[in-house]
Amino acid sequence: MIRLRGVTLTYPNGTRALDGVDLDIEKGSFVFLVGHSGTGKSSLLKLMYREQVPSSGEVIVDGIRVDTLRRGRVPKLRRNIGVVFQDFKLLSHKTVWENVAFALQVTGTKTRDVMRQVPRALDMVGLSHKSRMFPSELSGGEQQRTAIARALVCNPKLLLCDEPTGNLDPSNTTEIMELLQRINLKGTTVVVATHNQAVVDRMRRRVVRLEHGRILHDDEKGYYFRGLGQAAVLPG
Amino acid sequence: MDWGRLRFFLGEVLANFTRNAGMQITAIGTVAVTIVLLGSFLYVRETLKTFGTGVLSQIEIAVYLKDGVGDAQAKQLAVKFAGDPRIASAQYIPKREGLRRMHDVLGRDFDTSLLTANPLPNSYHVKVKDPDQVPAVAASIAKDPRVEKTDYAADTVQKLLKTASVLGRAGIALIVLLSLSAAIVIANTIRLTVFARRREIEIMQLVGATNMYIRMPFIAEGMLAGLLGAGIAIGALALAEHQLVPRLAQTLAFVSFRVNEGTLCLELLGVGAAVGLIAAWMSVGRYLRA
Repeated sequence: MIRLRGVTLTYPNGTRALDGVDLDIEKGSFVFLVGHSGTGKSSLLKLMYREQVPSSGEVIVDGIRVDTLRRGRVPKLRRNIGVVFQDFKLLSHKTVWENVAFALQVTGTKTRDVMRQVPRALDMVGLSHKSRMFPSELSGGEQQRTAIARALVCNPKLLLCDEPTGNLDPSNTTEIMELLQRINLKGTTVVVATHNQAVVDRMRRRVVRLEHGRILHDDEKGYYFRGLGQAAVLPG
Repeated sequence: MDWGRLRFFLGEVLANFTRNAGMQITAIGTVAVTIVLLGSFLYVRETLKTFGTGVLSQIEIAVYLKDGVGDAQAKQLAVKFAGDPRIASAQYIPKREGLRRMHDVLGRDFDTSLLTANPLPNSYHVKVKDPDQVPAVAASIAKDPRVEKTDYAADTVQKLLKTASVLGRAGIALIVLLSLSAAIVIANTIRLTVFARRREIEIMQLVGATNMYIRMPFIAEGMLAGLLGAGIAIGALALAEHQLVPRLAQTLAFVSFRVNEGTLCLELLGVGAAVGLIAAWMSVGRYLRA
């Protein structure tokens, strides 16, 4: 699904955000990107949905060379990628229904299809009963679920989440992570950048740890800190 | 495009238009003022042009024949004039007729009893099709051996022609400057609305809306502001025309105020819409590239 080869990203101010990253993510998998703030997690995600272009190296998403993609082709790429952020990025003057429909309407979807796909996405995140509410009337978890519904409404093959639980309390965090797992079970590839240790250690999925723009370790069924999980269980 | 999609689009445009009402009113006002100035200028220019061509088309070349040239030879000259494509008409005025006309014009002050002979030469009054050609035609006629000299209101013709061309060029410069200032104000307004809606634009880009699609509502907004401004300006101009022109027509009886209002309105609306469109295109484009 995703294939990065020798990816380096240097910002104009000279900061090297990523330094020779090689990464493969299988179709249908669930991957955590972990590391401290400023280690390049967000930059890595941005490369995948072409918000950033690498200084060197290759980025391939679903068979498309993203790093050399022409500007005019970017919208089509993004319709196949859902993106979720820490701050939800909802429109405050639109209802839940309108926020989700917005993603379809601005990409020129037929009204008939909008009417069919929006309820399905709302049902998926369990917000059908709150579709007429405005973001300000929702809890943080519900707002994030709205954002996830918007990301999913186009049926993307890939869902990228940048600190999706960064603004949420533990119970909302659990709720969102369970939702992301359900989405993954339906076949969507999910990549989550986070520094929430509890979430990562509980889920036991693939963990890619970044430090100073490089991959420090990459474990199946990993922990936030390599070895710490085992260390925690050993002395029983 | 189905009805639902059109309704969504128009709804977005209208909602954003009313949400930034204050800024939009500023933009509309500026366009209105600009177009009032532009419209009055075009109106005056049109009137002057009609007046000028009227005067120019009446300008005649007086061709005075040499003393010895009799009626028969003079008639041959008429054939030559008829063969010249630049000449509209040529009227022969024998010396006796010339004297009578002078008498008619000057009346009692002109005492013919003092004259022992008619001092006037036989002459032609030549009308030229294109006022610009008057000097050239006069010069070519003067070369004929039967012609003593030619005369025309040279200064008047030259001045009118010059005024017309200067006005034409100044007009274009003025139109460009005025449109530019209106475009800058609209562009600024739209930049503010773009800024106010940067979150929406960000989301649109994120979910894969094309730049064209993102631009469209802003362009529609800009054109709407331009058209509304032009509409207000046209209303103001129509009112002014209704009030002023009858009074002016009385004072300036020789000027005809026949202006094609329909064309003028369309021109002004076109300028308004174009100014809005260009301004919107530029200000959104800058944001999208960033």
